Amino acid sequence: MHWTAALTAAALALPAVVVAQTPTDAQIAAIVVTANQVDIDAGKLAASKGASADVRAFGEMMATDHAGVNKAAAELAARLKLTPEENDTSRSLKADGDRHLEQLRGLSGAAFDRAYIDREVAYHQAVLDVLDRTLIPSAQNAALRNLLEKVRPAFVAHLERARQIQSALGR
Amino acid sequence: MAPSRPRTLVTVVAAALASGLALGACGGPSAADRDAVTHTVRMSGTSFVPAEITITAGDRVTWLNEDYFPHTATSEAAGFDSGAVAAGDSWTVVIDRPGTFDYVCSLHPPMVGRLIVHDTE
Repeated sequence: MHWTAALTAAALALPAVVVAQTPTDAQIAAIVVTANQVDIDAGKLAASKGASADVRAFGEMMATDHAGVNKAAAELAARLKLTPEENDTSRSLKADGDRHLEQLRGLSGAAFDRAYIDREVAYHQAVLDVLDRTLIPSAQNAALRNLLEKVRPAFVAHLERARQIQSALGR
Repeated sequence: MAPSRPRTLVTVVAAALASGLALGACGGPSAADRDAVTHTVRMSGTSFVPAEITITAGDRVTWLNEDYFPHTATSEAAGFDSGAVAAGDSWTVVIDRPGTFDYVCSLHPPMVGRLIVHDTE
């Protein structure tokens, strides 16, 4: 599916792909929760393993912010009696996130910092792209759509901060 | 606080508010001598809402975090830093000194706001 390809491309730090198909609200919920969890896991690793203070602080913020979003998403899903439905995109995100974590665990020092931040830049850029092109326009429930719209600026802030760190790391 | 101490720009009042105590700016005639107004700025959608407010020296400003993660209200120029305000929490200061002060969420730098503080006279 095209939106699967877009997020997989993000996970691989490749340019995002144009989105075409329309996920259901239950599928959107699963994609959102998984996308956040992938970044929480990487953020926790960076918070403990990052070489630079900026990378550690950024990782801690990713873990905190995305956990907050997931808590809100879980509460909303419960209120709407919406059961997240696993799908190709959420499964692909999870699998690729796990692979990325394994890669990061094999790195240290400056190489770890660069790999983590490069991925964060690409990941946030692609997630924003999918939010704008597919998830927000496809959300049928207004509360779900409002949640996505409300958290979008935080993802923009994350992207901006990741780019700052990336630049400081000398890419 | 002792009247002879230098006038400070802000006075953190969260504890005083919690205990219901009267509030006053350090050494100035502002909050103690007039009816201080409390202004609320929402932290919502990784934005300060409203992004700009105009107040009078001695007024209180409360930042209320309506987002799902922490934010700060931080201004080097104005001399205040809320630290991380958790989701659902708030933080309050008294602004004592006139001027125009930009502030930012130090966690999400694109999130910016401005206080325009008029003198009491």
